[in-house]
Amino acid sequence: MEEELKLRAFLDNSDLGVIIEDLEGELRVTVDGHSYTPQVQRIDDNSYLLTNDNRVYDCRVECKSRERYEVKLNHHAYEISIVDPRRLRTDENSDRHHDGPTEITAQMPGKVVRVLVDRGVAVEKGAGIVVVEAMKMQNEMKTPRAGTVLSLNVSPGDTVNAGEVLATVGDVK
Amino acid sequence: MFKKVLIANRGEIAVRIIRTCRELAISVVAVYSEADAKRLHVRLADEAVCLGPAQSSQSYLNVDAIITAAKLTGAEAVHPGYGFLAENADFARALLSAGLTFIGPSPDAIEIMGSKTSARRAAIDAGVPIVPGTVEPLASFSETKATAHNFGYPVMLKASAGGGGKGMRLVRSDEELLSAFETAQAEAASAFGDSSLYLEKAVERPRHIEIQVFADSHGNVVHLGERECSIQRRHQKVVEECPSPINEPNLRQQMGQAAVKVAKAVNYLGAGTVEFLVADATREFYFLEMNTRLQVEHPVTELVTGFDLVREQFRVASGQVLSFTQDDIRWNGHAIECRVYAEDPSNNFFPSPGTITHLREPSGPGIRLDSGVDLNSEVSIHYDPMIAKLAVWGKTREDAIDRLRRALDEYDVSGITTTLPFFREIVRDGEFQRGQLDTGFIERFNSRRASAPPAVPAIEERHMAVIAAALAYHQRQQQATQGSSPVTNRWKLSGRNAALNARQNLTHETSSKWRKS
Repeated sequence: MEEELKLRAFLDNSDLGVIIEDLEGELRVTVDGHSYTPQVQRIDDNSYLLTNDNRVYDCRVECKSRERYEVKLNHHAYEISIVDPRRLRTDENSDRHHDGPTEITAQMPGKVVRVLVDRGVAVEKGAGIVVVEAMKMQNEMKTPRAGTVLSLNVSPGDTVNAGEVLATVGDVK
Repeated sequence: MFKKVLIANRGEIAVRIIRTCRELAISVVAVYSEADAKRLHVRLADEAVCLGPAQSSQSYLNVDAIITAAKLTGAEAVHPGYGFLAENADFARALLSAGLTFIGPSPDAIEIMGSKTSARRAAIDAGVPIVPGTVEPLASFSETKATAHNFGYPVMLKASAGGGGKGMRLVRSDEELLSAFETAQAEAASAFGDSSLYLEKAVERPRHIEIQVFADSHGNVVHLGERECSIQRRHQKVVEECPSPINEPNLRQQMGQAAVKVAKAVNYLGAGTVEFLVADATREFYFLEMNTRLQVEHPVTELVTGFDLVREQFRVASGQVLSFTQDDIRWNGHAIECRVYAEDPSNNFFPSPGTITHLREPSGPGIRLDSGVDLNSEVSIHYDPMIAKLAVWGKTREDAIDRLRRALDEYDVSGITTTLPFFREIVRDGEFQRGQLDTGFIERFNSRRASAPPAVPAIEERHMAVIAAALAYHQRQQQATQGSSPVTNRWKLSGRNAALNARQNLTHETSSKWRKS
């Protein structure tokens, strides 16, 4: 069975398209139009050993948040943000069902266009909180749960990084 | 020889001393602060005594607590390492009156060398040159001129109340002297409210070269050659080597004899280091100070001479004769050491405390690593941020540099920022490779570095990093959908993985059992 995953990676101000394809056991990854079929060994939770055309790339991956990664390779530290564009159109926080306060985070680097709520107001599940423009698309960041806007960290015009917390929604204690 | 020794220190030097104790079958008592209860030096010891809270003043500098710990455990001697109480005459005296042996020189020798004036006087009395300078403020311009002639140009005018380079002028000739004298006076007056100046002979492109000396209680005093320590930042050594790239047997002999004279002048005992400034062009040398302890950088001397200096310290402290004479000492090959600090070289060497989350240490031919940390060690804000010393040995200086480059590339530390990237650049620097060292090296190196174009990794390497990040993202997404609560950090993630694996194994087992029945 063929599987394909399309992601976007942000590295040093460049926006790179990433396509990961599982071709019956062989992994093909296309980065910014360059196609690779690396051998991948997962050494531990934070280490990936990639071999591409017999060239060895021993990568240490430090996960800073869901989207932000620091990859150390040959003593060079790469700050990389990974975004799944499919998740932007859906309710991005839909897999968070816990009762505690929920952080509404930016999915990719962008600019805050509108703030739709005030701090302290009660919101319904699915209500829009902040609109962020990224890659020429406006995305409404919605709350996955009902509650009160506990914090609001951005204003229109602010630039935000991927993974940055825009607001939190939870219960007033 | 001693049967039990207390080591009044922490970190890599405590570990270093423990190693020699093991080789001599000496039982080890470690001491530690509350912040260090899990540290390597505690785990390697036979007995360990907590001295008090994290602050040094209440733990590693707490003389009473250390003496109580020695009494409690029955240690006969105390090794102070370096730093903390190593050059504290009162501590040495307190140990002696408690009936304990201090592994080091007499309190009097520590005291004389601890003061700049008495140390300089001791050197002058021993016939060892110091940087010529006036003691009293200069009374007039004509006196200044006469003194400058007496010393010979270049000379340095300095503010008596000075510091920070204010009121300081380098003068190369008679013609420059008057205007330099007037501006230095004016600067000193406005900066310190005191216009008085003094004059020193200028040492141009000074190298910092020190001589290792050793003395026993039977009248033997020898030197083990030099260490070049010119690569310094904020007056702190970061790279040291033995021999100096100058490597002249004559100069070594002259400086060695001068150092032995200084040691004899204070009836020295044990390991000591006499520091000199050496003018790069003329090779004239001047006494700076004497450190009355084992130096941080002693491993380069050990690598080149083959002697274990800590072992000799124990020998002479227990009253035995040094195991070698001056004629036994040979200098074989070349050794270089880098002090690895938990500091950020790209942010003005700011301390970078934290927990070591990944560690790969170099090893293999010609490598010596003196480390005080291991995986999961916490580098705290309470103490010196040096985590390890990487020393290499090679047949020649060139071989040693090749080896150092290889070892630095092999060394990998995550979780804290270290000075390793800085050393990886130094070892590739032309001036360093040619041995053109003096105390201005780091300043010149930094300006070369600032103007050099940044290294750009190949596109394939960048893309492999992106692929690793994308795979890690994908992995996380899959785990997040399998799990019930959002993953917040790596530790929970690894715990989750273990739990998942266990569950999968369990299911697998039950299903195979079910099939069997």
